[in-house]
Amino acid sequence: MTLPAALRRDDRVAQAAKAKHRKRLSYAFYLLCVLIAMLSVVVLVVLLLSISVQGSSRLSTDLLTQSHSELRPAEAGMWPAIIGTLFICGVCALTALPLGIGTAVFLEEFKPRRSELRLLRKWIRLPSQTWNGIANGLFRALRWFHGFIQLNISNLAGVPSIVYGLLGLSLFVYMFNVFGQIKVNEADGWELFGVQHYYQVLSLERGQVVLIPMEEGDPPTKKITQPLAGVTTAGQPIEIQVWQPGTPKPTGAVERRQTVRKGATGGRYSRHAWYYFRLPFGRSFLAAGLTLSLVILPLVIISTQEALRAVPPSMREASLGLGATTWQTTREVCLPAAVPGIMTGSILSMGRAIGEAAPLLVILGAAIAKNSGPKHLMDDAVTMPVLIYNWAGRQQEVYQELAAAAIIVLLVVLLIMNSLAIYLRQRLRQK
Amino acid sequence: MSQPSALTNRRFRSTKLAVLYEWMVVSVLAACATATVLITVGIIGMLLTQSWNFFASEYVDFGYFLTGSEWSALQAREIENARFGIWPLLSGTLRVTVIAMLIALPLGLITAVYLSEFASTRVRGWLKPTLEIIAGIPTVVLGYFAILVISPGLQWFSGGAFDTFNATSAGIAVGILCLPMVCSLSEDALHAVPQALREGAYGLGCTPFETAVKVVVPAALSGIISAFLLAFSRAIGETMVVALAAGTLATATLDPTVQSQTMTGFIVEMIKSESEFGTVQYYSLYGVAATLFVITFGMTLLGQGIRRRYRESYQ
Repeated sequence: MTLPAALRRDDRVAQAAKAKHRKRLSYAFYLLCVLIAMLSVVVLVVLLLSISVQGSSRLSTDLLTQSHSELRPAEAGMWPAIIGTLFICGVCALTALPLGIGTAVFLEEFKPRRSELRLLRKWIRLPSQTWNGIANGLFRALRWFHGFIQLNISNLAGVPSIVYGLLGLSLFVYMFNVFGQIKVNEADGWELFGVQHYYQVLSLERGQVVLIPMEEGDPPTKKITQPLAGVTTAGQPIEIQVWQPGTPKPTGAVERRQTVRKGATGGRYSRHAWYYFRLPFGRSFLAAGLTLSLVILPLVIISTQEALRAVPPSMREASLGLGATTWQTTREVCLPAAVPGIMTGSILSMGRAIGEAAPLLVILGAAIAKNSGPKHLMDDAVTMPVLIYNWAGRQQEVYQELAAAAIIVLLVVLLIMNSLAIYLRQRLRQK
Repeated sequence: MSQPSALTNRRFRSTKLAVLYEWMVVSVLAACATATVLITVGIIGMLLTQSWNFFASEYVDFGYFLTGSEWSALQAREIENARFGIWPLLSGTLRVTVIAMLIALPLGLITAVYLSEFASTRVRGWLKPTLEIIAGIPTVVLGYFAILVISPGLQWFSGGAFDTFNATSAGIAVGILCLPMVCSLSEDALHAVPQALREGAYGLGCTPFETAVKVVVPAALSGIISAFLLAFSRAIGETMVVALAAGTLATATLDPTVQSQTMTGFIVEMIKSESEFGTVQYYSLYGVAATLFVITFGMTLLGQGIRRRYRESYQ
């Protein structure tokens, strides 16, 4: 009988040779790991370097104070975009943070408990058998509701941001056309307050106009045939005179300013107060901010949940043991303990909101020819990422450089926010 | 010793008023939570009603939409000549996504293994923030990086075989975008593997490589696969990179060197073209968005299902 090969071989020699090979393999894998981990650092360095080289020549005060210009790109800047981003992210923070933190508190701190249902028992008189059945069913339903919301939030986090943009388009910009469609000079939707419409008519004085207040239901243009009451551009009430062509013109500057040619037509002109409000919102920064808040809502909820989960249960139990209600426990114990974590998550989510371009492109369009920030609630706005997208998509070298310079500004803002978040987390860990 | 302030001013007390207040707070918070459900309902309702306008049109054939290989919603002047077959856009999305995954999945996973198995605290201390900074870079910036560096680099490297706008440069940029996500999710999964398993492997004489590849990674596989699926769905839905770097020509091909309009890229083009509201071409963007949503939603659900179903628990 011959021995099997494994038994005939000198085991120790074979093992040693194999072990050497295995160790070498392991070391090679370690080197591969280091190499690949370094690769991400290299990518980041290349990205930052290439963009700074491309954009450094355009970094000037002009970039921060001027607005976009088609004719003189050398002096173009991003001031309206900075203000627009600030406004839109402000709206976004005001809606997404309370809503998100509220949802997270509900999911983490108000998990259904049978003891809560027992409170209802005082008011409901039922045989205990029936009551137990109902309470059981109710408890299961509540637990299912919790699980469903949790699942729903993880799904929302995976929805592409451009789909949120389309939702915002239907929900905020058009409001499903419930309030009618907005058309320039034709329909304005439901204007609730903060607006006055006028007919704007050229006066005889060059470059000066008079305004005639417009009533609801008036046609969009009006032909002037007889004297009527109006206001100056400064808002002073005046009597508008009519000049018949062929007769001598009035001579005084003041009279000429208050006189219009017979048959002149007035176009529509609207004045908006800052609190101007209408339904639907149209392509406004308010709609953009609300849409952005939908995009970051799942992020805020998930990070807040994590922060609340990190609060030790013993603190919660101590508070409940002292007789506090769940909300009192949440407010006095859990939330204060979780504040650094919640702030870190909120800052990171806002960083995401600042850099988000796709939904804003859907809501506000790709136009960037605006030279100021939003003037009223329903005004449109330009944001930094949309401006960068527009500039980066152009062929001219100067716009490419401007895009790089704008990216530097955007990255500096984000870097400041991210390092704030990382600093907060480090302090949290040390505690 | 002074008493704690909570005890002196007696704020912790459960009176009837407090119970009533409690119920009010719970209702408000529950309303917040319900609002998140309403968002999902809103998205599905919006996509259904708006894409119904598209699919119910006489110029659109649902069968051709799913199988057709020509998409000319923006190019055709007359609606009669417009062809609505999703495959050119879908193939564009797939080209970009596959390239992105080829980069993000291996690199992300290996970085995660390195972070969880090999890296010292000092290395972790700066490698993790670096990855977080990459994760925080706005997508439009990566799109610009793709046209500034990656695309010229590819052209130089291949001697001009690549178009100015091509699927590969967009795919690489999307891969860079997904890498931190794959890495952090996989690392969480690897981190959850109990130390005892590693110690057992080392005790049996495994090398670090064998421990990582034969013990730790298989133990964390469900988490890793769900991370892959999440990254995949993120790459499919990525918009700004492809809008800048992938070009605007929709062709059904597998060639990664040519222009490739993706589903998200088409939506952006359509929005930018200021097409007349209410036309079939306009509503076609909702048809595309519905397809996109179905794919990403399916991926997310699948990922969650896998994580839940195949989670190894070591209690």
